[in-house]
Amino acid sequence: MKIFLIFMSAILVNNFVLQRFLGICPFLGVSKKIDTAVGMSLAVIFVMVLASVITWLLNGLLVLMGLSFLKTIVFILVIASLVQFVEIFLKKVSPGLYEALGIFLPLITTNCAILGLALLNIQNNYGLLETIFNSLGAGFGFGLALILFAGIREQLDFADIPKPFKGLAGTLITAGILSMAFVGFSGMIKL
Amino acid sequence: MAKEQSQLTNGMFTNNPIFVQALGMCPTLATTTSATNGLGMGMATLSVLIMSNIVISLIRKLVPDKIRIPVYIIIIAGFVTMIDLLMHGFLYDLWKTLGLFIPLIVVNCVILGRAEAYASHNGVFKSILDALGMGLGFAGALLLLGSVREILGAGSWFGIPLWGDAFNVFIMILPPGAFITLGLLAATFNWMGISREERKKKKEQAAKKAGETA
Amino acid sequence: MGNYLKIGLTLMAFSIVVALLLASVYTITADPIAMAELNVKLESIKTVLTDPVSGTLLIEESDIPQSQEELNEKIWKEGDSDNLYESSRYNGYCSSPAYKFSLKDSRDAYIFNGASVGYGGYVSIMCSFVEDEGSFELLKLEVLDYSQETPGLGAKIAEKAVKERFFNIPQSGLTAGVIVDKDSGKSPAKTYEEEKTNKKEGIISVSDLMTGATITPRGVANAINTMVEYLEQTIGGDE
Repeated sequence: MKIFLIFMSAILVNNFVLQRFLGICPFLGVSKKIDTAVGMSLAVIFVMVLASVITWLLNGLLVLMGLSFLKTIVFILVIASLVQFVEIFLKKVSPGLYEALGIFLPLITTNCAILGLALLNIQNNYGLLETIFNSLGAGFGFGLALILFAGIREQLDFADIPKPFKGLAGTLITAGILSMAFVGFSGMIKL
Repeated sequence: MAKEQSQLTNGMFTNNPIFVQALGMCPTLATTTSATNGLGMGMATLSVLIMSNIVISLIRKLVPDKIRIPVYIIIIAGFVTMIDLLMHGFLYDLWKTLGLFIPLIVVNCVILGRAEAYASHNGVFKSILDALGMGLGFAGALLLLGSVREILGAGSWFGIPLWGDAFNVFIMILPPGAFITLGLLAATFNWMGISREERKKKKEQAAKKAGETA
Repeated sequence: MGNYLKIGLTLMAFSIVVALLLASVYTITADPIAMAELNVKLESIKTVLTDPVSGTLLIEESDIPQSQEELNEKIWKEGDSDNLYESSRYNGYCSSPAYKFSLKDSRDAYIFNGASVGYGGYVSIMCSFVEDEGSFELLKLEVLDYSQETPGLGAKIAEKAVKERFFNIPQSGLTAGVIVDKDSGKSPAKTYEEEKTNKKEGIISVSDLMTGATITPRGVANAINTMVEYLEQTIGGDE
């Protein structure tokens, strides 16, 4: 039951993008079209779950050796390597998606959501199963926010926005309104 | 002197990492719930930026091109961990408030971006200036955003109450407030840039006309 | 092959240098970090052992622990895990360890860290219970962690005026079970005398200060009840 609550909470109540502010760069960068958003979300979910499991296992090892202070370095290196592998894998398996994601694929490395997720799993003392479900929830939450936003932005392209608000500013304000909607979910789940 | 000055203003205004380049958004939105938090985060990031720029500039000839990104990441992560440990021991309250976002400085695109774009091709002194410019621009933006959110959301500035509970729009402190405030500030920056462009154009047109009639 | 080896070795060399540097910073900061964490705990303990009315410290100055060892001497009960006790009824827990101090007037004070579920997560508090000839009084509490509560609403629980409403709960109130006035069905207290009378029944008046944010003080009340449950089981059983 707790696992299900962790999963749902990561998607709605503590949405990684709109509440925790993790993963903003790809959120603002890849959300122009719905299909790229979907592709990015799937890649992120995959990297998130895999990275969380590997970092969780490695953290256990680090703690045993008394080297917890090396956590940040080890985690980010794991994430960077994982993204490299995903890149190579996608290039072989789905070159179309690889082309579409372009520069944003290596940028998953600097996606604070993945490192943030890995660190949060440790901070909350999650077991392996809880880690997996938290990561799935985080990934789905990210994807949800991304796809919703892409849908809105596709419509916004046809709207007449005043000049100062074109580009980053308008995007941020739209994100703010979307975030406000998600605030409505808070308090829904009592862990 | 002018060249150094322009390098600083480049980072602080013309190419401000947040308002112009849109880098490093995550900590910007998350840690600016008050002026103190924003400034603290800005200073921590500035320190890492300066240190990593110095080291990367020093070793730029020693690093094989293929592995430069992992090496930069290791160096940056090292400095971030150092700052994290130092803050934990000596600046406990700020450390507790900034929490998760201190280790997240590692993935702040500003630091890796400057390392890749500048420090890896330039000397140490120039890299320091670049780090100072970008870092102060980043910290300044964080301070600005933090101040706006704190003043409107809690009626205080740096913890000093201004008008108490009389005017509190506490959604400013919640996530939506962060997005909207940053959006409005970005729009203001945009507007200033646009008016500057238009004034320049008008001047050029006037000069052209003056040139034609002359 | 040789090229890859060279690259791999360079990478490893950099990693080792950085790791060694970090190890030295770690050893340098290990003590300050332990002191910083300890100081936070000691500050809270000092606060809950200060009389809410007179503002004087209730233990001797010399009795204030200055180090982790001195603090460990004050341990009363320790659990084998992080939690001393968990209450399913109040959805809360008491952290290990619990401390016991001797006050200047030779009464005993028990210090507990505990938490219960608030709005967005756990609300952690530290309480001091003073024993007077077999009966207990909740003297004071300090709110330690309320980071999951909404700023401006639930987060007001850490304000002095709100915390004060929970001070000095007599034994009768503790036995009855601490609840917030909204949950009691009683109308909010209008005078200080009414507040005191309510406290004797365990009813805490906070609805005027925490309008629209009942869940957070309810969490605090449940945390207190968890500690009382544990106290009743341990000390009540001993006698």
